[in-house]
Parts: sequence; structure tokens; C-alpha cells
Amino acid sequence: MATTLLDLLASSLRRRPHAEALVCGQRRVSYLALWNASMTVVACLRRRGLQPGDRVALLLEPSPEYVAGYYGVLAAGGMAVALNPLAKEWELAAWLRHSGARWLLCAGRTRQCEALAGECPQLDMTELGLWRRADTALSRPPTTAEPDAPAAIIYTSGTTGAPKGVTLSHRNLVSNVTAVMRYLQLTPADRVMHVLPFCYSYGNSVLHTHLAAGATVIIEPGLMYPHRLLERMAEERATGFSGVPATYALLLARTRLDAYPLDSLRYLTQAGGPMPLRDILLVREQLPWAAFYVMYGQTEATARLSYLPPALLLEKPGSVGVAIADTELAVCDPDGRRLPPGEEGQVCARGPGVMLGYWQDPEATRQVLHNGWLWTGDLGHMDEQGFLYLHGRASELIKVGAYRINPAEIEEVLLAMEGVAEVAAAGVPDPLLGQAIKVWLVPQPQARLQAQQVLAYCRRHLPIYKLPRQVVFTDALPRTASGKLRRHALMEAGTAGLED
Amino acid sequence: MTIEQRLRTYILDSFLFTDDESVLDNDDSFLEKGIIDSTGIMEMVSFLEQEFGIQVDDEDMVPENLDSVSRIIAFVSRKRALV
Repeated sequence: MATTLLDLLASSLRRRPHAEALVCGQRRVSYLALWNASMTVVACLRRRGLQPGDRVALLLEPSPEYVAGYYGVLAAGGMAVALNPLAKEWELAAWLRHSGARWLLCAGRTRQCEALAGECPQLDMTELGLWRRADTALSRPPTTAEPDAPAAIIYTSGTTGAPKGVTLSHRNLVSNVTAVMRYLQLTPADRVMHVLPFCYSYGNSVLHTHLAAGATVIIEPGLMYPHRLLERMAEERATGFSGVPATYALLLARTRLDAYPLDSLRYLTQAGGPMPLRDILLVREQLPWAAFYVMYGQTEATARLSYLPPALLLEKPGSVGVAIADTELAVCDPDGRRLPPGEEGQVCARGPGVMLGYWQDPEATRQVLHNGWLWTGDLGHMDEQGFLYLHGRASELIKVGAYRINPAEIEEVLLAMEGVAEVAAAGVPDPLLGQAIKVWLVPQPQARLQAQQVLAYCRRHLPIYKLPRQVVFTDALPRTASGKLRRHALMEAGTAGLED
Repeated sequence: MTIEQRLRTYILDSFLFTDDESVLDNDDSFLEKGIIDSTGIMEMVSFLEQEFGIQVDDEDMVPENLDSVSRIIAFVSRKRALV
């Protein structure tokens, strides 16, 4: 029985040591080479005094180095804290301080790393250059871990004062990976085209499920050039592809998928928010031989909570399907009572994928975990057959493409701008990204602010995916009698705006 | 205005939110410098089609044509010569 992701990787290694684990540009990395590179990381971390449970941050683009680093950290008994290389230095420093990471694995001493060295002097930075000893004999065995020991922290949205670090155990990761492998029926013959960020739960899940299956992960740096991506998929004979609704919207925007020889594609997966049925049908029409999996999940549940069997796509349009193996879903009223089919309530989940909690934040953990149940913050209903339908979110997170953004992150940055008295951010509908960020701003008296200045300020202080698309000025923000911001009123006002 | 001026004004205005010419070098890679992301590329292609009356085909959407101001100028000039 596998206890850790490393056990799953070891089993793929034993079955086919010379099979391709990773393809990245011109580089092809076998399971044996990946294993040996991971063991190099283990040796390096042990030499530097890593103790079990120590946090090791990864600041690496999706690459073989990232993968070897991640498995190396787990094998050394550490906890992997993957950070988004697109983030600004102040965000990275906040996560590093909050996690208490002593080590940072990076690709080189970039300007970003130099800045972090100044902010976090306790940090030991290690550049990964691991591939000199490829395809040699197996190194000594890794550290064994308890299934419920924490294995990884994934930082989701949070303000600088209170970053939210979802803490996952080995059991969380292994159970979720195993369940996904089973319903996607992954085999060593599969080759997935991976364009999602590795540091978040969906990309993390795609990576580890395919390596656990002994399959090949083809790493591509994103979607800037859809035509190139589709050509690569054809060249590499990809059998699988995973995206969020915006991924598919970008592919469909200017391209016909059936113009490429993609006959090897066996499955497509979609998660990360509702995808318009029109787009799902377009994908199916252009790639009718590929099974389309609508899925739903949350970082707090490792990644996956439910999936819709592809054969039921038209029978259950709009549904995110049924619970994955060993997981239970319920729709509850605010007192935690289960609601009958058809009634709207909050989606709750119980199972081996539900996180240990938020890192060093018992209060935030108490708000979402009750008696083993995770309160997802998503609203929905169940039909008579137990198929789940989502209606929206009880929480105020903004979903932009593959990202979840807490509006407070934007507000915190803009409140520090000269001339800004009050500010509110919210998600408004966007045809390509699902949601886009809109900002309502109350200037200080006599301040002469222009939208362009505000956007330029955001550009300097926020990563590109957190940039507002619209800025409007207003005299006052809608608030309740007690002074609390009525963000939903802003969202409903949507693009109507006040004055641009 | 020349292609270069129109293009630079558009990029400074729509993606960098400034009129400070010094922040954008004609050879800056949009991808490496994080100037434009995948949705930004779509917007820029629509701009090129409307502003310069060209059609950008699937096979034109490659970094060799679109990843810097200089590359776009060369691409647009080539396309226009074909019309």
C-alpha cells in the first residue's frame, strides 16, 4: 500500500525505469533519471541539516527541476511549499515568513532571489542543477513518513497579514491522486499535455496522478500561442489535456481543434469554475473521440471532490457530477442539516482528501472544518440521483482564469496608494476568463486620480494575473448599517459602473 | 503615425498603463518581461487586425511574429506587402 507520493513514483520506476516521465522542450527525462535527481535533492537537504517536517519552498517554473525538487523534499522528510514564480517579491516574502521555510529551491540567483535573500536572511537558497548523474543506480532509500504527517502547503489567496496555507498530509495527496487515476483510467501509455501552474492544486494533481500511473507528463509553458501548443500536442501524440474554462476559451477563440491531427487524444479534463455548455459542446464537436470530464474540487480537499462521467454530459448538463472514491458530498443548511434533493445550501465534503487545516491558523481552520466535514463555501443543490449542481459561491473570492484571488489582496495594495481613501474590488463577468477584477475607488478630497494612474500603480505592485481590468471612481462604497462593505451589491452592479 | 508609434502607444497604454516611453524597449520579449499574458495576446491580435487591416492566421500566431515590438513591426509590414 502506498503511503506517500514517493511510494507511487517508486512503483512507476520499478515497472518501467526507462520510460519517459517528463518531456520539457527538447529534454526527455526517464523515471530513473527523475528518481536519481530527486535523491540528489534528498542528499543535498540532509547534508544541510533538514529535519523531518521542515518546510522547503520551491520557486521554480514548471520543469523537471521542479518535479525532482518536490519529490526530493518529500523523500527527505520535509514539507514542500511550492510558490508561484509570477508573484511579486513582497508576496513571496510573506509566504516564506508565514511557512517558516528555511530552504528555497530555485533555478538560479535571479533578481527575484536576491530580493528575497534581503527580505528573508534566514533562507538557505539552493540552485538546482541535477541532471549530471542521470540513469545511474538507485541511491539509498528515502525517509519513511507517517500517512497523516503534513507533506505540503499550498498558499491560496490571503492578505499579507494572513496568508492562507492549505496543509495537506501524505494521505490527502495519495488518496486524491489514486481516486483521480481510477476514474480517468490512466495507464503508463498515457501522455498528458500539462499547461497549468504546478504550484496550485489542479496542476499539482495533474502532475502527480500521471507520474503515479507511470505515464508521461509533457510540460508546456502556457497558452500564449495556442497554435504552437496544439502542434506540440500532435507531435507528442498527447492522450490527455487538462484546463480551466479559460484554457478552452483561449483554444477555441481563434483555432479549430480539428485542424490538427489530435487523434491520439483520449480524455480532456476541466475544473476551476463553470465552463459554458456552448464551449463544452464545441470541444466535443471538434474532438468527438476524446472523453470530456467536468470536475469540481478545492485546494482544501487536495484537488478533486467530484467528476461527471463523460457519458452523462448531455444527460446531466451543468452538473459537476458525483463524489470521487471514498468521498462523501452533502448540501447543508447553515446549521449543518442535510437538505433534500433540489434545495440550495452549502456544499460540504468529507473524505481522505480533506486537508489537515490552514497552516498555523486554527481560527481560519475552525471556520471551514467541522467534525471532519469541509465547508466549501460553494452553494449548490443535489438531484435525486446524487448529482451535484453548483450555483455560485458564498465567499467573495474572484476566479480569474486558473487563479483564485481574494479581493482584500487588491484592496490592501491600493489603500497604500497616495490619494486613495477607500477601495473595493470584486469579480465581474468576463467572456474569456470567467471573471475579471473590477475596482471601485473613493479618492481622498482634492486628490486628482485617473484610472490609468491606478492601473499603472497596480502593475508595479501586483502580479499580472491580479491586475484589475476596470477602475471606476465613486463618492462612496455601498455599506451595511454597521459599515461592512456590501461586495455583492458591487458585483450585481457588475459592469454597469458608476463613472469611468 | 508610423506602425512603430501606433503599436508602442497601444502597448504602453493598454498593458503598461503609462506614457513613459523609456519602460518599453522595441526588443523586449513580451513573455520574458511579463508585459503581456495569454489573454493580452488575443487582444493585441485583434488590435493588429483592426488597426492595420491585416488578417492574422493560426500559423501566424507564433513568438517569432508577436513577441516584441520589433517582431510585430516586421510581421505587420510583411503582411501588408502581401495585400
